[in-house]
Amino acid sequence: MTVVLEAVHVAVGRAEKIVLSDVNLAVERGERIALVGANGCGKTTLLRAFGGLDEVLGGTVRWQGGLPRGPARVRTLGMLFQAELPSRFDVRELVTLGLGLDAPPAASARCQVENALGWADLAHLADRSCALLSGGEAQRTLLARALVANPKLLLLDEPTNHLDPRRQAVLLGRLDRLRGSVAVVLATHDLALAAACDRVALLHAGRVAAAGTPADVLTPANLATAMGVRIRRLDDPDGGPPFLRVMPARDGERAA
Amino acid sequence: MRAPCVIVLLVLGCMVVAAAALSLGPAGWRAPWALDDVLLELRAPRVLLAAIVGASLALAGAVMQTLLHNDLADPYLLGVSGGASAGAVASLALWPALPPGPAAALGAAGAVTAVRSVARGPHDPTRLVLAGVAVGSLLAGATGLVLVLAPADRLLRSATYWLFGGLGTPHWPALILPLVLLLSVAAWMRVRAERLDRLALGQDVAASLGVDVVRLRREALAASVALTAAAVAVGGLVGFVGLIAPHAARRSVGDGHRRFVLVAALAGATLVMAADAIARVAFAPREVPVGLVTAALGGPFFLWQLERGAR
Repeated sequence: MTVVLEAVHVAVGRAEKIVLSDVNLAVERGERIALVGANGCGKTTLLRAFGGLDEVLGGTVRWQGGLPRGPARVRTLGMLFQAELPSRFDVRELVTLGLGLDAPPAASARCQVENALGWADLAHLADRSCALLSGGEAQRTLLARALVANPKLLLLDEPTNHLDPRRQAVLLGRLDRLRGSVAVVLATHDLALAAACDRVALLHAGRVAAAGTPADVLTPANLATAMGVRIRRLDDPDGGPPFLRVMPARDGERAA
Repeated sequence: MRAPCVIVLLVLGCMVVAAAALSLGPAGWRAPWALDDVLLELRAPRVLLAAIVGASLALAGAVMQTLLHNDLADPYLLGVSGGASAGAVASLALWPALPPGPAAALGAAGAVTAVRSVARGPHDPTRLVLAGVAVGSLLAGATGLVLVLAPADRLLRSATYWLFGGLGTPHWPALILPLVLLLSVAAWMRVRAERLDRLALGQDVAASLGVDVVRLRREALAASVALTAAAVAVGGLVGFVGLIAPHAARRSVGDGHRRFVLVAALAGATLVMAADAIARVAFAPREVPVGLVTAALGGPFFLWQLERGAR
């Protein structure tokens, strides 16, 4: 498989203070990886470093073919931020901005934008001002913008934020359709979403505490230690991702 | 309302206001097509200067709002008004025979240079605003001290007139530099519209969409300050225009710079032309500073916009 992004002994932080160190992760083409951990463990900071927005404080991040700067960047990398400034663009305009500065010729650009709007079920809202959208509609607009240029890698920070359960399920299905072609690294608190990824990296105490398949990483012991939660796992009889019931960990479990 | 309708309405409004501003004056009513000396040598350059100042402040405000990600930013925010006031008052006190405009422009540019240095570059909007407020307050305090301690009443009068905006009696050549700057910055904004659209979404988003944010922010700061300094040099401190014109433009046609920049420029030009006409005739034969009229017109308009937005 082709490695689209590789982190080797990466250390990241804010204002020179290291939040996370010795991160080793290879993201292969088309696979989906979840970064999971408690608040402040460095998920967003790591995503920003993967996106080339922040310098790493140690180690190296390698992108396949190098991370292009400038207009071509959006065809390599699409990003979804956890919080974004409000704007008065209409939905179609905001999605179009994701095409980058050397947007393809008008007809194919329009086609890409309409495809992205359809992907996020936004066709009926295309002419609405973003200032008038609900939280979930705004989130879907930003998701559509992140993938409108058909990037090879998507970095998504809390992609299910503001989405109702139906929309979360739909998003999961849509991300499944990208499997095999677009690599996705997502930061999430949603353990069900993490369980539906190919691999999970559990961040705790300034390092990657566990990495591997969801079954190996999202264990009660790991989650109690890293996130202070107790889970009950219910397997889907239809073969889908497992249901995870989440409760606060007891003191003894957390210490373990 | 759709952008083309807004633009057509504004162009019509701008033409009507320009015609009214040409017709009205302390020397009485004149038809705008009566091409006599009063119209060609006194009113026409003044009306055109009002339009240039209004459009310049509107565009400078639009760029500043994008740069600082703040709809309430205005072109004077980064210490420009404090620097311009200090420069103008120093000029009026030391060289009363000279027009204060050039010293005001220098003061504005100097103040922004100081702000940029204190904020360690144009990259952190919060640091820029805080540094601007601090430097601007220091300079405004120094200006006030000079005015209070200065012995000549005439200095106080002329400084007050300038500090509230006064277009004076411009000659045609005085319009060339501000007009060239206005057209240059408008052309720059047109060329950079796609990048400015992305910068309006935040630095990180813009960078993730391929914009060279550092370079764009440098260019934007230089464009806004140059335009403001030129407007201040010829028209004094005309308040409110750089805040409400781009703000109203964004509200009516959205954030796309290609559209809203034209709307903001037309709105700014129309507002200052109308305010200047009122300033010339409302208390004739005395003339009041145009900045007082823009504040009187702009304040209620801004409140109405806020009220409309709140609903």
